[in-house]
Amino acid sequence: MTVLEAKNLSIGYGSVAVASGLSLSVSAGSVTCLLGPNGVGKTTLFKTLLGLLPPLAGQVHVDGKDLAQLDRQGIARHIAYVPQAHSADFAYTVLDLVVMGRTAYLGAFNAPRKADYDVAMAALDRLGIVSLAGRDSTRISGGQRQLAFIARALAQQARIIMMDEPTASLDLGNRILVLDTVRALAHEGLAVVLSTHEPEQAFIVADQVAALGRQSRFVAGAVREILTSQELSRLYGVALGIEQTPSGRFVVGPAPSH
Amino acid sequence: MRYPSRRAIFSAVLGLLAVAASPALARSVTDSAGRVVEIPETVSRVFAAGPPASTLVYVLAPEKMIGWVRPPRAAEKPFLLPATRELPELGRLTGRGDTLNLERLIADKPDLIIDFGTISDTYRSLADRVQAQSGIPYLLIDGRFENTPAALRLLADILGVKERGEVLARATEQTFAQVDGVLARVPQDKRPKVYLARGPEGLETGSRGSINTEIIERVGGLNVVEGLREKGGLVNVSPEQVIAWAPDVIITLDRGFETSVPSKPEWKPVPAVAGGRVFLAPGLPFGFIDSPPSVNRIAGLTWLLHKLYPAQAPGDLSDQVRSFYRLFYQVDLTAADLDRLLNGVGN
Amino acid sequence: MRTATILLLLAALLVAAVLVASGVGPYRIPPLTVLEALAHRAFGGAGGTTVDTVLFNIRLPRVVAAAFVGAALAAAGAAYQSLFRNPLVSPDILGVSTGAGLGAVVGILFGFPVVAIQLLGFVGGLITVAVVATLASMLRGSGDVLVLVLAGIVVGALAGAAISLVKVLADPYDQLPAITFWLLGSLAGVKASDVGVTAAVVLIGLAPLVLLRWRVGVLSMGDDEARALGVEVGRLRAIVIAAATLITASVVAISGVIGWVGLMVPHMARLLVGPRFDRLLPAAILLGAAFMVGVDTLARSAARIEIPLGVLTAVIGGPLFVWLLARNRRKLLP
Repeated sequence: MTVLEAKNLSIGYGSVAVASGLSLSVSAGSVTCLLGPNGVGKTTLFKTLLGLLPPLAGQVHVDGKDLAQLDRQGIARHIAYVPQAHSADFAYTVLDLVVMGRTAYLGAFNAPRKADYDVAMAALDRLGIVSLAGRDSTRISGGQRQLAFIARALAQQARIIMMDEPTASLDLGNRILVLDTVRALAHEGLAVVLSTHEPEQAFIVADQVAALGRQSRFVAGAVREILTSQELSRLYGVALGIEQTPSGRFVVGPAPSH
Repeated sequence: MRYPSRRAIFSAVLGLLAVAASPALARSVTDSAGRVVEIPETVSRVFAAGPPASTLVYVLAPEKMIGWVRPPRAAEKPFLLPATRELPELGRLTGRGDTLNLERLIADKPDLIIDFGTISDTYRSLADRVQAQSGIPYLLIDGRFENTPAALRLLADILGVKERGEVLARATEQTFAQVDGVLARVPQDKRPKVYLARGPEGLETGSRGSINTEIIERVGGLNVVEGLREKGGLVNVSPEQVIAWAPDVIITLDRGFETSVPSKPEWKPVPAVAGGRVFLAPGLPFGFIDSPPSVNRIAGLTWLLHKLYPAQAPGDLSDQVRSFYRLFYQVDLTAADLDRLLNGVGN
Repeated sequence: MRTATILLLLAALLVAAVLVASGVGPYRIPPLTVLEALAHRAFGGAGGTTVDTVLFNIRLPRVVAAAFVGAALAAAGAAYQSLFRNPLVSPDILGVSTGAGLGAVVGILFGFPVVAIQLLGFVGGLITVAVVATLASMLRGSGDVLVLVLAGIVVGALAGAAISLVKVLADPYDQLPAITFWLLGSLAGVKASDVGVTAAVVLIGLAPLVLLRWRVGVLSMGDDEARALGVEVGRLRAIVIAAATLITASVVAISGVIGWVGLMVPHMARLLVGPRFDRLLPAAILLGAAFMVGVDTLARSAARIEIPLGVLTAVIGGPLFVWLLARNRRKLLP
């Protein structure tokens, strides 16, 4: 079932279009990886799908509704944002951070109530980090903080979760942890869109890949279709090759010279 | 016979003219700071560096003034000599909010600069600097109140008006004597507690020993405001503090305050307000109490004597004020003028 | 300790501060007499004695004014710290205090009555922030908040230069001392009528901050995240700036420029209840009010003459802030 759909999207700032004619469809219970080199508009596309930037043309639909017709709270109930794990300017506890995800359901003058805290705790529990609830969010590891942000998105009870390079600046152990979590969430029925610089992650978790390249070249489709060495080389402007390890993992690297 | 060449005659004439044109820096005088300064034989253009100096020069030799520090207000003009009313504004040069450009000073061609006020190293060095930079003799006169007769005599000598200086100095000494005479008959415990109320709210005042309350203290008034330092200055107080001090007399410089204070509930408990002893100090053309802190305050002494000690003060206040104005300011006050003056019109 | 308990204790602290302040002053009134007079007035008795005059016309208006000044500055500081995502921000970051100062000193320069000076101060503060906001919206770059801060710095510097110009033009004997005293901050001349108006405006300005306290806290996560969490960032930012400007301008108009309170009290409150704005705001309001009542009591009774409030808050606030930082480095500077 399609939960997020972009139709003939033109993205950019002001009157300058960065890319046009983009169409993408994301289903529930799937993981979509957003790939692309720096500076071509991957972030712009990401923000437009989230509703943080207005499209210059075309529409974004969530659960069948046009994003442009919804107010902020409305959008937030459908689609949640997991940023790269950053340190906050204030020493909020992990629970404080996560319960912010409930803002989408609070009246303008209300603060979270017990029911909201219950949802937040449930989200923490689902990710196995209940023990972090009372900890200072600025004093935990990057990986733990990334999980906290994911928990916040879960507390938001949105069907679509958009993650911005969630494994950047994480060590190997934490990377695996986060990717496992992403797969588990999709398995439970959520739609996850994941922006990443690592095609290998797409091989690990994704069902679908959307690649935005130079000169607005946009392709979207199943992983095996899109992630060919030809396509990847084109995307990054560097000769790349894909190899498969004996255990079945796909590895991307500079094309072997013949 | 050989006649001098045309060129030689020409140079000689030029030389004679040059000598005739330059002011003869002929005299040596010592100012209050002990500086020995060369000044011209005749002084006809005097620049006053600040308002106190302006007043001092005005009373001694108004014909030699080249301008005011700040122009007289419309209300003040009738109380000034006609010739001085329209003199130009020249700005101040006393290190306290200077607005004067030295080039402009030189362009005005004064024979000398007079500064009347505190004698301190700061002002000494300012005097030396300006003198060196501009080539104009700069004289410092001690502005302490007790020094007024001596200051009058000194400046009179410098300006070449010795007789007038002597007359004014004697009148000042007489006034001092009068004050002391009255004080001798008033015991310490009968001296009134006084509060100087500045500003429309009356909460700005001068603490004990400040230049603003100097003459009140000279007349035996006990300044209720105890400051943080021995030499006082301008300070802010709260109405509650004034109630606690309970002054018998309030001197104010602000007409708005004088008219509104009887209706202000927070001033009612003050004895001065209850007893109707709130006095608006006259201020035309110069303040009686402190603006500027100069010889104009001699009139204030007389006025204060009558206000603080009505029973013991000799003579009639109006007469005394009228003769002061005739002698010092060289203006004759009509009865109407006198009335307006003593009622604080123009404050 | 639970937040509610802490807030209760802070409220009790405020009440205690007010009571003590009512009993202290240059005019000696024994504590029992103070309570009697308060009770007498509370039950409808008419005043008339000197004690009544001192208490109800001079002291109490001042104490209440101090409470509102402290509450307003602390609330504005806390709100701006969340808005600008920086714990080192003060209410004057957009220039409201400097602008109010400019308005007031212009009033002093032209010899206007006190009410006009206060009004000019209030309007000056509002206009300055309006100019900053307009400038920022014309220059809108990628970092909204940064553009606001820069515009605030520029306009604040201009207003500061204008104040210096006024000082040059002012009469050194009459006006300059008044200008200097005003810029240092004082509640010496405050009257009951001033307090009434200021209190009303402060309450009006505090209302949106209190009502929207949860969302203002969410703002501290950054514009994109806040939007994605469901907050209308642009609108909320405008409301916070308007409210903080309103309350700050109204208290600066009667008290002059008082620094440090808006920066420091939110920090102290953060140490007590944590950084979440919905808990921080009430704590900061109560603590700020109590603090200012204490400082003002000191200002009028430590010496025979008034000590400017701005001097006291800096002298007390500076070292206190350093001590706080040293003790709580981990908690305050993540």
